[in-house]
Amino acid sequence: MGIALLAFFFAFPFVYSAGNYDYIMHICIVGFFYAILASSWSMLAGYAGQFSFGHMAFMGLGAYTAALFCHYFFISPEPTGICTEFALGSNYLIIKNPIGVTSTTLTQDCLAQAMEKWDGAVTVSPMPVWLGVILGTLVGGIFGLLIGLLVLPLRAAYLALFTLGFSEILRATISAEIQITRGQAGIELPGLFENGITIAGHYFGKTDKIPPYFVMFFLLLGCLAILYWLSRSRFGLFVRALREDQDAAAALGVNTTRYKILVFVITSMMAASAGAVQAHYVTIITPNNLMILQMSLVVAMAVIAGVENFVAAAIGAILIEFTLEMLRTSFNIGGIEIDMTLWRLVFFGVVLMLTLRFARNGLLVPVINYFSRGHVAAETVVRRKQSESSEGASTAPGVQGGSS
Amino acid sequence: MIELEVSRLNKKFGGNHVLKDVSFEIKGAEMIGLIGPNGAGKTTLTNVLDGAVKPNSGTVYLNGKRIDQLPPFEIAKTGLGRTFQVTRSFRRMTVLENLYVPALALGKSHTGNEVKEQALEVLEFLTMEHLRNEYARALSGGQQKLLELGRLLMLDPDIIILDEPFAGVHPKLMEVIYDYIRRANAQGKAMIIISHQMDSIFALCERLLVLNYGDLIADGTPEQVKKDPVVIEAYLGTTEDRSGTGHGDEAEQS
Repeated sequence: MGIALLAFFFAFPFVYSAGNYDYIMHICIVGFFYAILASSWSMLAGYAGQFSFGHMAFMGLGAYTAALFCHYFFISPEPTGICTEFALGSNYLIIKNPIGVTSTTLTQDCLAQAMEKWDGAVTVSPMPVWLGVILGTLVGGIFGLLIGLLVLPLRAAYLALFTLGFSEILRATISAEIQITRGQAGIELPGLFENGITIAGHYFGKTDKIPPYFVMFFLLLGCLAILYWLSRSRFGLFVRALREDQDAAAALGVNTTRYKILVFVITSMMAASAGAVQAHYVTIITPNNLMILQMSLVVAMAVIAGVENFVAAAIGAILIEFTLEMLRTSFNIGGIEIDMTLWRLVFFGVVLMLTLRFARNGLLVPVINYFSRGHVAAETVVRRKQSESSEGASTAPGVQGGSS
Repeated sequence: MIELEVSRLNKKFGGNHVLKDVSFEIKGAEMIGLIGPNGAGKTTLTNVLDGAVKPNSGTVYLNGKRIDQLPPFEIAKTGLGRTFQVTRSFRRMTVLENLYVPALALGKSHTGNEVKEQALEVLEFLTMEHLRNEYARALSGGQQKLLELGRLLMLDPDIIILDEPFAGVHPKLMEVIYDYIRRANAQGKAMIIISHQMDSIFALCERLLVLNYGDLIADGTPEQVKKDPVVIEAYLGTTEDRSGTGHGDEAEQS
């Protein structure tokens, strides 16, 4: 099943050739982005029981770190004399001054002024996109650590409210700091491959969808591989014990503090890396990307698919993203036009409510459990019968042999 | 040799002085009953010993190491394990996974079969081997109690505190728990059993500690405690009193 899905997504960009190719590829990329968010949130909330509503804030931290890094930091062979700058080998690290959303010649930034003075004699290089993505991921991890430390004593609703508050504070701060973040106007970023890329002799242009498709796909696979490894290790066992009963886990020797912080750091880094890559893909990040509605979308994707299984959450996110996009098509019933651009969200809400009411494990997890745990009940019955028959043959009542 | 030194423990919750200068020692694999009326401070004492609650004053040394300010996970690794009054199994984890948690927390390798084999031995002893892959939530209340005991075997502590191990348990499972306690004690573990079921306490324990509203009012053999007028007054009642009701047989919670 897994191999078939992998093969499908590997082959898809090369075999799909309909007229809406770019649109479908875009949905896939966004689907992968949400899959990273939903699966990492599944580890945080479903496995570890930390119902955080700050996941999109970490996504935003990654995106804004990458954006601010690309927006303000440059490498120049010559000093500008007017910007904040540091010698970096034979070059200079230039830090542009923030000028908010204005761009008149009177208030243009120091680098623009220097460039005007140089009149094309000096070529200034932007910072590498990948360095921004790595920085964004690290900043996500650092904030994950801080939030993890702050929420240590909090459980359930208190944790949810705290992280919701953090998310809203971050969004409000970004909106308010217009001078640095350009507020609601958002910050533009260079594309993932601003100058195109040649792979195996084939040149892909700046707007070609195949390179970002595979970047996001490999990022998703990387996150899923890490989540799989974690879930199969003692980390996975301990965070699930933490979810079930923090005090009992601690009484059995589990350092609950360490694992609670670790799960925040790891999942925050995943969200931040996805945010940084997504921001470079869509080439803009605005505070609206951090809205609670966006967080609700991630939560709904994970819950509808099954929050206690990160693979289900990832698959669910991709399927739901596709479904939501496909539902955009409006249609007529008896002359009445149904505007699905609005009604699709109602449909989505109804599915979420029905799932919570009738399938609390989600829609995909029962299917996965059927294949992975379907044999357990029959196995238990057989073992019990064997145990009873051997007990009947034994003279010692109650306790069978064996030692502790 | 196992050595637990509890010295002048005090714990207050607001104006409620729950533990008042409680001191006692355990030397070796003793089998101790901790009894007292509801609200006596038995569970609070357990919580202080396992680190879940920090005392206002006093010290606890386990095998020469001061543990009263350590977090619970370090105390567990130092050698003190406990069960809870209300069973706290990891309900959405399988029986085997429940048993793996303490073993892996001790640093044992999760690859290979050593931990699994140890867990299966524990389950066989607890007559739950057939339930190994079931989620803990599928178990009966008694089986969940056994699972908690099994987790302690995997933790392998020097001192085991059992908080109401017999409450609400079928007689057949009671046999298993009796056997568990005797075997663990025979293996050199000190046992502290908290229970209102005096028949079980008198049958198993060679020493009793009696708490009464935060005061340790008696520390001695069952015979000494039975005759202690302070204990009779505070908890046991007279022989006539006891014969009528089978004192404390219901699973009351303190």
